Amino acid sequence: MREESPERLPPSVTIDLTRRTNPRLSGRLVGARQVAMPYVTMTRLALAQLVASRRARVGALVLGCIALTAIFSDFLASDLPLLCRWNATTYVLPNIVRPAALSQLSCARMRELRKAGDWMVSPLVAFGPTEKDADADVLLPPCRRGHPLGTDAFGRDVFARVVHGSRTALGIGVAASVVLVTLGIALGALAGFAGGLVDGLVARTIEALTSIPTILLVLVVGALVPRPSTATLLWTIALTRWTELARIVRVEVLQVLGRDYVTAARALGSSALRILLRHIMPNAIAPAIVAMVFGVASVVLVEAAVDFLRVGSPDTVASWGEAMGEARAHAGAWWLIAFPGLALLTTLIACILVGEAARDAIDPKLREHAFAEDEKL
Amino acid sequence: MFRYALRRVLWAFPTLFATSLILFVVTTLAPDPPLAFDGDGLTDEPARARFLDLPRFVNTHPDDVRSRAETAARHVATGDARGEGAARRLERLGGAALPYVLPLLEALPPVQRQELAAALMPVAVRMELPGATEVDLPEGAVLFWTHFRDDRAVDFTQAAVSRAVDRLVEHGSSLRESDLVSLDTFALADLVRAMMTTDDPVALERLTRLARHAAGRGPVLTWKGAVANGTDLRRVRADWKEWWFVHATDFATIDAFARPFAVITETRYGKWLKRAASGELGVSATDGEPISQKLRARAPITLMVCALAMLWSLALAVPIGALGAWRHGGTFDVASSVVLFVLYAIPTFAVAEVLEHAAIANTEEAPRLALAVAALTVGSLATISRWQRAAMLDVVRQDFIRTAKAKGLPAWRVALVHALRNALLPTMTLAGMHLPVVFGGAIVVEEVFGLRGIGYETLRAIEMHDNAWLMVVVLASAVAITLGMVASDIVCGMLDPRVREVLMRQQARRET
Repeated sequence: MREESPERLPPSVTIDLTRRTNPRLSGRLVGARQVAMPYVTMTRLALAQLVASRRARVGALVLGCIALTAIFSDFLASDLPLLCRWNATTYVLPNIVRPAALSQLSCARMRELRKAGDWMVSPLVAFGPTEKDADADVLLPPCRRGHPLGTDAFGRDVFARVVHGSRTALGIGVAASVVLVTLGIALGALAGFAGGLVDGLVARTIEALTSIPTILLVLVVGALVPRPSTATLLWTIALTRWTELARIVRVEVLQVLGRDYVTAARALGSSALRILLRHIMPNAIAPAIVAMVFGVASVVLVEAAVDFLRVGSPDTVASWGEAMGEARAHAGAWWLIAFPGLALLTTLIACILVGEAARDAIDPKLREHAFAEDEKL
Repeated sequence: MFRYALRRVLWAFPTLFATSLILFVVTTLAPDPPLAFDGDGLTDEPARARFLDLPRFVNTHPDDVRSRAETAARHVATGDARGEGAARRLERLGGAALPYVLPLLEALPPVQRQELAAALMPVAVRMELPGATEVDLPEGAVLFWTHFRDDRAVDFTQAAVSRAVDRLVEHGSSLRESDLVSLDTFALADLVRAMMTTDDPVALERLTRLARHAAGRGPVLTWKGAVANGTDLRRVRADWKEWWFVHATDFATIDAFARPFAVITETRYGKWLKRAASGELGVSATDGEPISQKLRARAPITLMVCALAMLWSLALAVPIGALGAWRHGGTFDVASSVVLFVLYAIPTFAVAEVLEHAAIANTEEAPRLALAVAALTVGSLATISRWQRAAMLDVVRQDFIRTAKAKGLPAWRVALVHALRNALLPTMTLAGMHLPVVFGGAIVVEEVFGLRGIGYETLRAIEMHDNAWLMVVVLASAVAITLGMVASDIVCGMLDPRVREVLMRQQARRET
């Protein structure tokens, strides 16, 4: 009798019961456990569904590839070789270590000045993101003279700029979203939990920040700060974009606070902190993941737009937006828009795929429809 | 309904206040220049114009002419290290300081009294008092000021000065003018006030001449200039108004009514807010044009681009999203979903860039405004239609739609009346929240297509480090967007009583 019951009851409940009462049965429930674990929280349900979603998997795969590109960009495109022997010394990974002896050299120059006994292993493309080609090959179309994606108006290799641009974009994106997620959860929880004046203050701040266009604020802060840098941009975005998450977390906290189990916990003498961490935070993690993924997308977008408007000097850090901005001055140079644009678009699409799958996974209303939707995209 | 609208509008004020606070903090990001202090005051004029001598948020000891005069007088009398600067400062405060310094003269011991009286003599010379130039000994100076106090103390009252200035404006004569010269800076408040109200060119010339004599600076408006063209008049008036706004507390007391508020108003934030609220937005650093005028010239283009893009995207997005959801899973739904998804991900600046390249390749004279609106529409269209589709899907799955179909209503009626009307509301709310994105996009699009709107001007201002314009632009756009959000909320409230109820209920809960 008992051995049959697991199949009919909802999996979560079943596991919770059998694990405690009859350890022999747990072996038969492997399939059910993959769907949900004991102590079902909203987050666990959502995560289980997220993992099952095809959109999320595709998006995560693409994002993973871009992240790998960002991490190993020095192997894909660099002005120094991966491994070389130069003047009777062997250098391992000079493109990362940057030894002083090679500081004046580049792959192209090393090939010219090579003496007997010198050898080198070049990266995929032997140009760095800020290196100007010695031959002054400006605005080369793709697939000419070792530049697979062509060069820009300063003679810099577009492939190297796109590859190294992923590092800029993802670096800023992830760092800013970590800050904004932390801020959003903290302030949202504080507002919902404390109520009263604090709630009012946070709510006003959220509304005020929402009404300021992010791009405008980033541009203006960049102009007002004495020495604007990437960190300025990062902080400006992080300190202004936490509002959406804070709003969601606040509502979540208010809803949970009204539940019976919180009242029970309070009656049992739980401290406010324990209620916050044990009963409220687990429910806020799922919205935080959504905010994080969309945060990365929006930060990458804003960063690209700002760099697009402020087309930098030849020595600036590689960035997709900046590369696209250069195309404005050169009407025929389609490769300056196409390749960085494609990289940007791919990143944004991947982020949105994961983010939307995560959002649907959180939304209980959509839970039963989500799988059907998933089949389509 | 009216109560709801009113309440929603009132709720915008705390938000605007919070916005102003945030933007004020942003303004302080610009580095402060090194300040030059002299005696007990800031002498660096550009720094004073930015109120760097005031504390940021709370001024526990708001200075006015009285406290400034008394501090300076004490420094002069004791002859300490700051005495030199304080004497200059006392001379600058001039006639306005006399009502507070002269009583002090009596209370001081003889040596200090002589020091102070001698330091005040340049003021007497400027006031063209009879016998002022002949005094050369400190004892004589003490005697001079004692006599002056006995004779002229009556003239140094607010009412007397107001009357004197009014009479000068009504029927000016050189005698009345010299009367006011002998009041020196004490008359400045009324002189500036009269300058703003009178249109009589001769009176204006006298007033500006007097003010210049007392303040030691500022433009004089010749009556010919006042008659010939309005620009001179406006420029001179603006100059004096601005100067008085910065320097009022040097020559006027904070009266009993204003004193409790001075803790907040006499601060950098208070002054900044007052300036912004009164539309005194300062002067652009790039070309010296008043910012308010520049804003009025540039804003219509940006607002038009935003409004047109918003209208177009709503007009297109609502049918696309609704139809997609109604025929959920059909060919149109799948195709539009995929296309809109890609459009949703493409950044606005990329769309603008591609459009611009395409337009330049094909035609010389490209319709810039239309292209800008098109580029801006693409992004919003995708976003809004995705919302519309989601909202419609939510509604279509509900029971009352099945009921409506079951009772035999025609499909179009169910779709338009039952489903779409309900599905429009969330879209409208979200469209209001989408305004900042559209505004930010407009900045980029203007730059790409070379439309001379707010965005174009802002990017030039960034290049030229025109901080005044930058701050105004952020503030103005935040205010515009807040108003747009209020408007969209009110529209939603009109369409849906439930939305109204939420705001009212929130209110009630807060009150209990």
